[in-house]
Amino acid sequence: MDADPAAVALKFAFLGVLYLFLLVIARSALKDLRGSRAVAGGEEGTGMHAVAGGRVAATDATLVAVQGGGLTPGERIDLFGGVTIGRSDEADVRITDRFASGIHCRVHTRGNVYYVEDMDSTNGTYLNGGELRGEAPLSDMDEIQIGDTILRFELVLDDEGIG
Amino acid sequence: MSARNRELLGLIPVAGLLIAGFAAVFSVRSAQLDNTSLIFGAYFFAICLAAHIFLRFRLPNADPYLFPLVALLAAIGLVMLYRINSDLARDQANWFVVGLILFMLTITFLKDYHVLERYRYLIVVAGLVLLLLPRMPVIGSQVNGAYLGIKLGPLAFQPAEFGKLAIVVFLASYLREHREVLVVGAKRFAGITFPPLKHLGPMLVVWGAAMVMLVFIRDLGSSLMFFGAFLALIYTATNRISFVIIGLAMFLVGAWFFATTVGHVGDRIDTWLDPYADANGTGYQVLQSMFAQADGGLFGKGIGESLLWAPGAKETVENTLIPQVQTDFIYALIVNELGLFGGCGVITIYALIAARGFKIASLARDGFSKLLAAGLTAVFALQAFVIIGGVIRVIPLTGVTLPLISYGGSSVLANMVLVALLLLISDRARRPEPGEPL
Repeated sequence: MDADPAAVALKFAFLGVLYLFLLVIARSALKDLRGSRAVAGGEEGTGMHAVAGGRVAATDATLVAVQGGGLTPGERIDLFGGVTIGRSDEADVRITDRFASGIHCRVHTRGNVYYVEDMDSTNGTYLNGGELRGEAPLSDMDEIQIGDTILRFELVLDDEGIG
Repeated sequence: MSARNRELLGLIPVAGLLIAGFAAVFSVRSAQLDNTSLIFGAYFFAICLAAHIFLRFRLPNADPYLFPLVALLAAIGLVMLYRINSDLARDQANWFVVGLILFMLTITFLKDYHVLERYRYLIVVAGLVLLLLPRMPVIGSQVNGAYLGIKLGPLAFQPAEFGKLAIVVFLASYLREHREVLVVGAKRFAGITFPPLKHLGPMLVVWGAAMVMLVFIRDLGSSLMFFGAFLALIYTATNRISFVIIGLAMFLVGAWFFATTVGHVGDRIDTWLDPYADANGTGYQVLQSMFAQADGGLFGKGIGESLLWAPGAKETVENTLIPQVQTDFIYALIVNELGLFGGCGVITIYALIAARGFKIASLARDGFSKLLAAGLTAVFALQAFVIIGGVIRVIPLTGVTLPLISYGGSSVLANMVLVALLLLISDRARRPEPGEPL
């Protein structure tokens, strides 16, 4: 069958415009992927654990006791901008853990981001299983381990809406 | 360039494609070009522009590419329906307008979509009722052995299209609250993480629901779609691939059991495995669709050039060579007219929409938004997979619509609400923090 040249031209024009359009969008999607890799935590598969990592105002985060330290599991400690954690009476959050130093580490805020900082403790502070050197930004559901004590950092998000 | 300007630029090629498509159909079928196609394209561009201006005011930070991609699907759908029958295209265009109105209403009244969480049990009950409605006497209607539609007088309606939204909203809200218990206390056995037994309950309930759907609605594809969306949500919530593997294994065992015991489910699978066994009966649809796609070749026969009716046959919608070409098998027609490249293009559109959806989920700042965006995207993408997979014989055929392309009011309306929700989540996620440089 002889195809009408105009119809053939239209068909290829249709396909051409369609693919050009898709290419432009795909390119921007790729750009997004490259950009977000640098921001995201790396090992986070779904990002659920990094909800809003570091983008939330400083007042709405808590530490949740997971185990040890003489704390009741599930106990919530409001951060109010920052706390020190350790075995001594001077620490804002006192934990009874024989591996903990007097002032073991502190959680503080800078910009809109929470950081955990090791205060030269004897046995070190672990963040999500890895040893913490100096300070590191916290994102939602990060686990801070001091000796046998585990605290989880949780962002508190108002269900009625943010912003 | 701002997000909304990119959106506007994206709509221009879409309108161009619609005009080109209508012109092609018109030139083939009337052997002359007149301004109908231009008017149709301009009309389409105008309603998209209205929605765009609405978005500009209401959701200035929302994802810029989602709406043009959705409009592109609608445009391809309209061209293909116009090629089948101009009345179908007119109806569909009207549904698209109604859908856009619903889209704007959703954005206006559900600006804070977190209220959905408060009504989650009401929503899930409504969703389950919607799913089971087609099995009710009098109003339920059976199409090819599956119960997917209801008929109220002249009005036919596919409640599952809205049911899927309700189920996803419920699951997102439920998992937002309970995701931790699924992970804490999980046991590892033989290298696979098993959730604690007592918390496996919800998973078993959803699995049970999918199995009930399989038996009652008799549709493997829809239950695969729902269960797949659930697994996607579980994965998003817990970050454990093992849960997905366990869930899929459970689904396969259940599906295998019912395929061997429930006649209709088994028939679909037999047809899928060997359509030639009954080429003029149960295998007819699938085979006609396969032939049409093979006939399309690499670049297709051209828009409007496919052989839709046997020579001499009356050119009605009921009479087409591929049965149900306007709904289930519209993908076969696209491949016939635009070839492998056209078909891949359509699949790419769905893939890009899925990419945008998951991007929205990854940007969202709270658990419910993340889960909702991921769930809505998963259910949308899975629906496209289930029907395209059925038509190209990758999986057994199912009677769900090709989202936003197939003819059908309920499908258009439900999917426009879905897109509205995604844009709402996106706008909130991308809104700059107060005090943050733009």
